Amino acid sequence: MTNTALTAKQLDKIYGEGTTEVHAVRDVDLEVQVGEVVLIMGPSGSGKTTLLSMLGAMLRPSSGQIVVDGNDMTAISESRLPKLRAATFGFVFQDFNLLGALTALENVEFALNLGGVTGHQAHQRAEELLTGLGLTDRLSFRPDKLSGGEKQRVAIARALANQPPVILADEPTANLDSKIGHEIARLLRRIATEEKRAVVIVSHDTRLRDVADRILWLEDGAFRELHTMATDPICGMSVDPQGAPHREIEEETVYFCSTACRDEFATAGSDGRHAAPPMQTEDGSGGR
Amino acid sequence: MVPIARRMLFTDRRRALLGVAGVAIALVMALTLDGIFAGTTRQVSRFIDTSPADVFVSQEGVRTIHMAISLVPGAVADEIRQLPGVVWAEPVLFSSDALRVAGARRPSYVIGYMPGGRGGPQILVEGRDPGPGEMVIDDSAATALDIAVGDEVEVLGATWTVSGLTTGMTSIVNTSVYVTFDDLATALASERTASYILIGTEGDPEAVAKSIEAAIPGVESQTRPRFSAEERSVVREMSTDLLNIMSFAALLVGLAVIGLVLYTSVLSRLRDIGVMKALGLGRIGVTRLVLIQGLWTVVSAFALAVAATFGIGAIVASVAPDIDVVVETASLVRAGAGAILVAAIGVIVPLIKVWRVDPATVFRRPS
Repeated sequence: MTNTALTAKQLDKIYGEGTTEVHAVRDVDLEVQVGEVVLIMGPSGSGKTTLLSMLGAMLRPSSGQIVVDGNDMTAISESRLPKLRAATFGFVFQDFNLLGALTALENVEFALNLGGVTGHQAHQRAEELLTGLGLTDRLSFRPDKLSGGEKQRVAIARALANQPPVILADEPTANLDSKIGHEIARLLRRIATEEKRAVVIVSHDTRLRDVADRILWLEDGAFRELHTMATDPICGMSVDPQGAPHREIEEETVYFCSTACRDEFATAGSDGRHAAPPMQTEDGSGGR
Repeated sequence: MVPIARRMLFTDRRRALLGVAGVAIALVMALTLDGIFAGTTRQVSRFIDTSPADVFVSQEGVRTIHMAISLVPGAVADEIRQLPGVVWAEPVLFSSDALRVAGARRPSYVIGYMPGGRGGPQILVEGRDPGPGEMVIDDSAATALDIAVGDEVEVLGATWTVSGLTTGMTSIVNTSVYVTFDDLATALASERTASYILIGTEGDPEAVAKSIEAAIPGVESQTRPRFSAEERSVVREMSTDLLNIMSFAALLVGLAVIGLVLYTSVLSRLRDIGVMKALGLGRIGVTRLVLIQGLWTVVSAFALAVAATFGIGAIVASVAPDIDVVVETASLVRAGAGAILVAAIGVIVPLIKVWRVDPATVFRRPS
């Protein structure tokens, strides 16, 4: 029996044609195992969102194949995709994307309804999920009455509602403060390990590196080997040292995501307030 | 199931209320027009409906009072009295003219009846039956014309003294006054004819009506319900075009409002719809969502409109007794069907909009 939850083979996505053609994703191969957390990082415009949309069966690739839970998502008709999406994927978004007209409980119940679970059974399961995430006293609250962390936990409960084999998370910690961001990161890790889900996270947030089994670097629509990455001491972004703005300090090289960060570092860091972080080494293809 | 459609529609209460109120106003327009029309047709046939006669005889081919002139030889009443099943038969004369007093005028039927007979006013709220040179007028018309018992009015080129007041005989169209048969016959120079013969029967009025037509040539004989229905239908036929135009206008207003309400509701929640699609809501699901919203809007609007129309009817009855707003079941069915039609057309544009929402929008940052 295979332990692979999601397989993407030679994925390509091309927008437009002729002079307006944009190759958003090129020749991407990806395999995510059950219980694994894969973090996909990369600069803005690198194709992360396009890749995530294709993996979540919301966008058809121009070529290639995506197999999830034994289903070839690229070969399934458009009319069957929504139902399959409800059963196969759980989504966690940067902006939470909870339905504002519904309470926390109803948001989770609604996802269960889409998965075919209705009535008392849906109500009970939604309540269990939210209670399990520490939201017992927030069940009847609308999203606008919840904090950012609470909203994201509701979104995670919703993502888990139909027990999907794959959780796709788009910048799940971006709108959260440091403490809550860590909590959410650990929660996603726990979900992968304890509930045996494959978790694919797309993020700029380096805090998520701690919980990832693998980190992949996407640039210009293709995965690049992530052999050596540095952290920008100003904004905390992961930076590929090749061609990145940098500065030598006491025989150590500090890399930045932009010249603006480098300039800020030069202004603020000259009094020694910024300690240059060491280079971090990650193996893009291996385990943790 | 989570009632997502209703929640989405009514979360923004102000917009939902405006939408429901907008559609309700269009329906109130249609229902009130229908109600006034129904009330008017009932008022028009009130002489027939309140008459103790079971059968009405008129000139052959004449089946109404309104928009018709009937002349029946006076001797016919005597012949009818001899027929089996006939208990009584009384002639009445009908004419129409404007009731004039102190420069004011009011269109009126003038009904001439036998003194002490059954063709006169069924209710006297003040005064007495008319004698020679006198008339009974409706209290509502008397108030409108500012006249009282004892005052003089002009009609058919003669002056008459008001001897009493009856009630319920004024409509939005005209009023009715009662004089003696002989006075009206003199005024019309028609001493040997009647307009209609009123007949009281024993047994089946339908059978008596048939036997009259069989026995007496040149007359039309109808039971009260049939005569009343004919009278109403002639008024209805005269006003159908106007009513259809007004109803169509109301339908268009309703259509515009419901389309706008659902469209703005959908526009303001496009991201939510994208989220729902991403989570697994298919084309049938989003279609159902919009249809249910449309249905909720018209059902709420319809309930509101019916209540408002009854309210308007009560207010109108107290401030303008001549106008009778009657909400009939058929009118409710028509308005309900119109509302459903409006919803069905109104959801088309919003539906196209939601069908086109790309679920991948969930990954884009809201602007």
